[in-house]
Amino acid sequence: MNTPLSILSWGAVSPGGLGVEALENFQNWPTTVASEVADPARQHLVATIDASILPEKWRMRPRFRRASPISHYMIEAAAQALAPHPQIERNRLGLIYVSFIGCSVYSIRFYRQFQKDGRRFASPMLFPETVANSPLSHLAAELEIGGPVYSQIGDKSCWSSALRTAACWLHNGDAEQVLVIGAEEFEPHQLEAFRSMRWLAKPYTRPFAEGAGAVLLGKGPHSGRPSIVSLKDGFCFRSRNESRTAAERCLAEFAPNLPVLDSAVGWIRPVAIAALKGRTVHDGIPALAHEAFGASCAWDTIRAAQRLSIHPEERVLIPYWGLSQQIGAAALEGTP
Amino acid sequence: MSLPAEERVVVTGWSCLTALGANTETSWSRLLNQEYARGPISCFPTDGCRVTEGAEVVLPELPWLPKKAESRLSRASRLALPAAREALQHAGLLDPAGRSKLGHLEMSLSTTATSMERIEAFVRQVWEGKSPIQQAGRVASYQAQQQVNDLQTFLGFSGPAAVVSNACAGGANSIGHAFDLIRAGLVDIVLTGGYDILCELVFCGFDSLQAMSPDRCRPFDVNRNGLMLGEGAAFLVLESESHARRRGVPILGVLAGYGHTTDTFHLTQPAPDGTPLEKAIRKALEQSATSPSELGYINAHGTGTPFNDRAEAQAFTRCLGANASGVRLSSTKAAIGHTLGAAGSIEAVLCLKTLQTGQIPPQLHTTDPEPLVANMLARPGALLEKNAALSVNLGFGGSNAALLFKTP
Repeated sequence: MNTPLSILSWGAVSPGGLGVEALENFQNWPTTVASEVADPARQHLVATIDASILPEKWRMRPRFRRASPISHYMIEAAAQALAPHPQIERNRLGLIYVSFIGCSVYSIRFYRQFQKDGRRFASPMLFPETVANSPLSHLAAELEIGGPVYSQIGDKSCWSSALRTAACWLHNGDAEQVLVIGAEEFEPHQLEAFRSMRWLAKPYTRPFAEGAGAVLLGKGPHSGRPSIVSLKDGFCFRSRNESRTAAERCLAEFAPNLPVLDSAVGWIRPVAIAALKGRTVHDGIPALAHEAFGASCAWDTIRAAQRLSIHPEERVLIPYWGLSQQIGAAALEGTP
Repeated sequence: MSLPAEERVVVTGWSCLTALGANTETSWSRLLNQEYARGPISCFPTDGCRVTEGAEVVLPELPWLPKKAESRLSRASRLALPAAREALQHAGLLDPAGRSKLGHLEMSLSTTATSMERIEAFVRQVWEGKSPIQQAGRVASYQAQQQVNDLQTFLGFSGPAAVVSNACAGGANSIGHAFDLIRAGLVDIVLTGGYDILCELVFCGFDSLQAMSPDRCRPFDVNRNGLMLGEGAAFLVLESESHARRRGVPILGVLAGYGHTTDTFHLTQPAPDGTPLEKAIRKALEQSATSPSELGYINAHGTGTPFNDRAEAQAFTRCLGANASGVRLSSTKAAIGHTLGAAGSIEAVLCLKTLQTGQIPPQLHTTDPEPLVANMLARPGALLEKNAALSVNLGFGGSNAALLFKTP
C-alpha cells in the first residue's frame, strides 16, 4: 500500500437490524435453530436476517424483485455508506464485493429444481442469480456506479486482498472512491459443508450469521475519519500446522505494541491466540459472537472505524483469519 | 511508489490449455488449421438438455505429479496446474525439478465455477442422507482457494492470490488486475490467468437460457444461434520491464492498456448499442496511447449469441471508425468454445500468439456475416500487418474488459 486509505463512511445489515448500532448490539442478535438437511436431528444456532427489516423500496426495484437475499443485504449496506456523500461522482466510484460462499440460496434452489424436475425444466429465471457477480451487477445498476467493479471470492483473507485492490485503484487514479462490501447469506446445506470440514467442532465455533457491511474508502487521510495505514496479505498455509507460521509472519509485519482486534473464529482461534501472545487485545472493540466470513470482515472493520472516529488517538490491528488458505491484516489509526 | 511512466508492463511467458490441445502450440496450430472442438459432453449427464455438446478438454496426464496427488485433484486443478506450469516454464521460472524459481510469486486468477463438480456431488450425497464427514475433500476442493493451494503446493511458491470472479470477463479482469498491481508499484511480477470447467449446473443454466447453439457456434453471422460452452485454462507471466531485464529473459509482448467498465443495462444482456464496451476499448486505447489505425487484430468476445455479437459489432465500428477496414477480427470461441472465467485469459494468449507469429486465427463457421463487421472478419491465412492487438470480453452481470497488447 502506497498511501493511507481513509474510511469515509460505512453501512451494515446484520441479524440485529440495519445500521451500525444494530451491528454493535451483536450480543442481543436473535438466533434460531437450523437443522442439517440430511439429518434434521443435528441442529445448530444461526443468526439470520428477518427479511421484513429490509426497506421495502429495494424490493420494489425491478432488479431486486428476483434478486438473492445477499443482493438485498448488499444494496442496503451500500446505500447507508453512500448516504453521507451525495456529491460523489458515481462514474468515478469503484465497487468491490467480497464473499466466501456467495449466492448459495439460489444456486442450491436452481440445482435441486432441475435435479428433481429434469434438466429440460431448469429455470432460466433462477440461473442468472446463481452467478457469483450477479449481486454486484444489481448494485452497480441500482446505484448507477460507473467505475471499476470486481467480485473477489475467497476465505476471510479475501477482505484484505480487496482492500489492496481498492488501494491500487485509488493510487492509479482508476477511481476517486471505492466501496468495498463483504456479504454472505445463509443456506442450510452450509451446515453439512461446515461439519464436513470439522468447522463446527467445539469449543471455538460460534453461530453462523448472514448480512453485509460496506466501507467507503478514499485516498489519503481525512480529518476526523479513521485510516487504513498498513495492509498485508498473502500469508499462505496449506495445513493447520502451516497456519501457525503464516500467522506469525503476518503479525510480524506490524508493530508489536499495536492493540489487536479479537477476530479469530473457529479452528484457527488457538493458532491466533498463540501468535498473539505478548500483544494487547483492544478492549474497546469486543469480539463478534458470530461468524459470517466476508461480512464479518466488513463488520470488524466498521466497528474498528466507528471506535476510532470517537477515539482518534487510538490504533488497532485487524487480522483477517482465513480458514482455508491465507491470512491478511490491516492496521487502522484515528485521524484527529 | 508507482512504476515510472516510461516503464512498461511486459509479458515473459504464457500458456493455453483448450479443447483443441493441452498446450499453447497444439491449440494454436489446430486453430490456424481451422479445426474446432465440438463433441458430446462426457463429464456429466446431459440427457434432457436441449443441447448435449460442447468443447470438452481431454484431461492431460500429469506425469510430474505423484499418481495419488493427481487422483485427488479437482477438474479445475487438472486444467490450471499444467497450464500454470507451462507459463512458468515459458517465462524461465521453472527449475529442473519443475518448481518455481521464485519462492514468492503473487497470483491474480479468475474462475466462475471453481470445482463445481465437487459441490454438486456433495449436495447430491446430502440429499441421499449420507454423512458429510466422508466428503470433506469435496467441500474443501470446491473453494476457490483450493486451486490457489494446488498451484502453490505443486509448483513450489507462495504469496498473495486474488481470485476475481467477474463472470465471462473475469479472465481479462484478472490480467488487468495484475497489470494494475505492477503499474502501482505494489509488485514486480505476477502469475495471472483463468481456468474454468464444464459442469452440470452451469451447462444446464445456459441450456435453460437457450443460449447454446444446437449445431455450430457462428460468431458475427446473421444466422447465429448461440454459443458453444467449453473449458480450459491459460496463464501469463506479467512483470515490470526492469524486472524482466534483470532476469535476462526475452520480452515476448507488452500489455499496454486495460479498460474495464460495467454495463448496467441488464443482468444477462449487453446494452444493445455496445456503449459500455466502447468505453472499455477507448480506455485501453487511451492508456496505451494507441490510435485505432495502429490496431491490427481484435480477438472478439463473439459468443455467437444474437445480442452479444450485435452490441460488439456496433462498439467496434464506432471505436475504429474509418480504420475498421484495416483491422482483422475473429472470435476463437467458434473453435474452442466459451470457457467463461478462462475465456479472457485464453484469448489474451491467442492475441499474443498473433503478435508473435503474424498469423491471425480465422473466423470459423461464419458464412453470412453481420454487415457492420463483414469486411473485418479474418479469413484463413490472414496475416497481421500492425503491431497492436486487442482482446475483448463481456460478462454476465455487465463486466466489460479490453486488453491491448503490443509487440515488444
